[in-house]
Amino acid sequence: MTDIVATHPVHPPPPPSRPTVRERWARRPPSLGFLVGAGMLALYLVTALSALVVFRSSLDQLPRNVAWVPPFNPLGPSAAHLFGVMPGFGTDLFRAVWEATPWDLGIVAGILSIDIFLGFFLGAIAGLDEGGLVDGIVTFVGDSIASIPTFILAVVVFAGLLTVAPQAVSLPVFVVVFGIILWPTMARTVRERARIIAHQPYIEAARASGASFPRILVRHVLPNSVGPVLAQLPLDMAPIFFVLSAFPWYYNCQLPGGPPTPPHTPPVNYLVPALPYFSPLPSSSFPEWGYLLGFGTCEGFSFPGGFNYWWMYLFPLLAIVGLGVAIGLVCDGIERWRQFDR
Amino acid sequence: MTTSPEEAPLSSGPLAEISPPAAEPSLHGPPPPLLSGLARFALQRLLLIPAQLVLVILILYLAIDVPVALTRTPPVSLAGIDQGFYQLVFNLFTGNWGTSSFLRFFNGGGGAPNPAEPIPWTQIFAYYIPTSIQLALFALPIAAVLAYPISLYAGWSRRPGFDAPARLVTLTGALLPVFVVGTLVLNALFAGYLGYLQDVPSQGLLPADFWFFDRGGYPPWILYGFATQPTGLPLVDAVIHQAWTIAFISLTKTLIQASVIGIAYVAIFFRHARSIARSVREEVYIVGARSRGISERTLLWRHAARAVAPSFLLVFALTIPEYLGVQFAVEVAFVDPGFGYLIFASLTGGVLSPLVPLVFLMSIVVLVWALLVDLIAIRLDPRGLAGR
Repeated sequence: MTDIVATHPVHPPPPPSRPTVRERWARRPPSLGFLVGAGMLALYLVTALSALVVFRSSLDQLPRNVAWVPPFNPLGPSAAHLFGVMPGFGTDLFRAVWEATPWDLGIVAGILSIDIFLGFFLGAIAGLDEGGLVDGIVTFVGDSIASIPTFILAVVVFAGLLTVAPQAVSLPVFVVVFGIILWPTMARTVRERARIIAHQPYIEAARASGASFPRILVRHVLPNSVGPVLAQLPLDMAPIFFVLSAFPWYYNCQLPGGPPTPPHTPPVNYLVPALPYFSPLPSSSFPEWGYLLGFGTCEGFSFPGGFNYWWMYLFPLLAIVGLGVAIGLVCDGIERWRQFDR
Repeated sequence: MTTSPEEAPLSSGPLAEISPPAAEPSLHGPPPPLLSGLARFALQRLLLIPAQLVLVILILYLAIDVPVALTRTPPVSLAGIDQGFYQLVFNLFTGNWGTSSFLRFFNGGGGAPNPAEPIPWTQIFAYYIPTSIQLALFALPIAAVLAYPISLYAGWSRRPGFDAPARLVTLTGALLPVFVVGTLVLNALFAGYLGYLQDVPSQGLLPADFWFFDRGGYPPWILYGFATQPTGLPLVDAVIHQAWTIAFISLTKTLIQASVIGIAYVAIFFRHARSIARSVREEVYIVGARSRGISERTLLWRHAARAVAPSFLLVFALTIPEYLGVQFAVEVAFVDPGFGYLIFASLTGGVLSPLVPLVFLMSIVVLVWALLVDLIAIRLDPRGLAGR
């Protein structure tokens, strides 16, 4: 017997590379829910872009057809008016919802971006730095802010801003304020996840091999803490549209005698759309889903037999809920895909 | 918040048993703590609440008081408006919450306004709060009874036929503004309510105005603004005065509102709680019990239902502000003179002066409530204390 002599050099197998998107797709195609959600989001984007092109000259103003304003015989959905007509506004509801799409997508995208940016980073840093100064500050401030219901804090801060500088306050300021108010909920869930991750053996190993705090944060903690963000994101949409719709609804419906009118003006026998003083919208004929929903609920049920005037509140409601469901489906799909990778 | 490494093992963990007795001080370590882990945690949290409240006041001060002071616009009766931040903190903690100009409404009903005698906000809050308490006493059990089994079952079930639709339905429910649901429910009930009970569902917890006028005016125990005597809770007061019809109408209205709150709250609770039930499904003792032939039903409703209780309670503590938001919106939708109605009315009417004490009061409720729920959760499962 001869000794075994290695005649060929032994090559170690190459390290496994991350699968490309195409390989992942081939191994496990995305779920039906993800595809439906992505399709809905694409539809919203196309609608918004087309509105930017079609209504580019009057994007912030709904046209008012005087013949449609009085509610004597409100026009329901038909071939000429797909979503019917909203009396009071005096506008075709299909056009109003279409024209509002770019504004609302912008509002939601802006608020949720700020929410993710602050909540994700602060929560992950706090979780990794458990018991430290940053963790203490983030938890203390976050818990304190979160002890006030979101919609009340948003409106209070906005009303205060309006008192100081009514001219400077606008939709972008509302977006920033709301984004800052939303972060504690996000940060709390992310912190819980990051805290668990920080105790994992591979973090210990990274620390022992000399990895710095920012490196551990960016390489290990942040990518593994995406789950809570995806779960929280669709829920964070709810308070935005609650504020945008509930206060116009209350203002138009519930004040005794309807919204206040200037002195010496004759009373009208229909609801004129009006905005509460702290509303972020620039004018009372601004296209925005929440405002349309609030006013439409009020207007629809101000007629006897409000269920017969369903289109006034159903279509803005569908636009809002559809966007939330689309975001929820996409988030759930991404989460399932991420879990499959691991 | 956290204990130092030296004293951590003594308060909880295996070293607590072998630590030296308190009678003879040891040379090898600090003496054992005076308080147990739970008591120390409760004390820490309790001491933290005033600090958190001061931060809340600071936010409100910057958001409302400073702008109003800068522009010198009315209303000027804001608590501590001209006295600075420290005075505002002092006023709020000592119950000096400013005065109201709601004179016409509260001066005994029909009496002429008397500007010389402004009413303290505390007195007005005392009118509004009992209605909200009565509603919460009904809504909280309904919300818990609905949310607990639905979240547990959806997380537990392996069939995609239940989980996926449940997720979709609850997400839709969370996105539906509560006032729309409330308006739909009110209008659906209106005809039947008017026919059988001769009342309208949209006028608060007590029977409608015309009902009282038809029967010779308000009874003497119902004050202006629907505040009742002696307890303030409409249902209890009606029972005390043996006004059974009023009690029945108040009860049905409260139940309807509480059901709407419960359904809306399930949607919020579900998304947080589902994953907890999912993780329990894979626990070793559940798998072991299943291998011994215990039926899925027993596993779910006996073992898992008990195991998720502490975590569900923590979710409950986390979502208290959301719950309050839902209840306030329902109060507004049903025109029920409660705390939420007062907040909406003052915000929309442009009266900023009650907002600081209102939000301060609400923060106290939220923080104390969260602490109580946390303590119950830790009592059920002391392991949670180690991670704090």
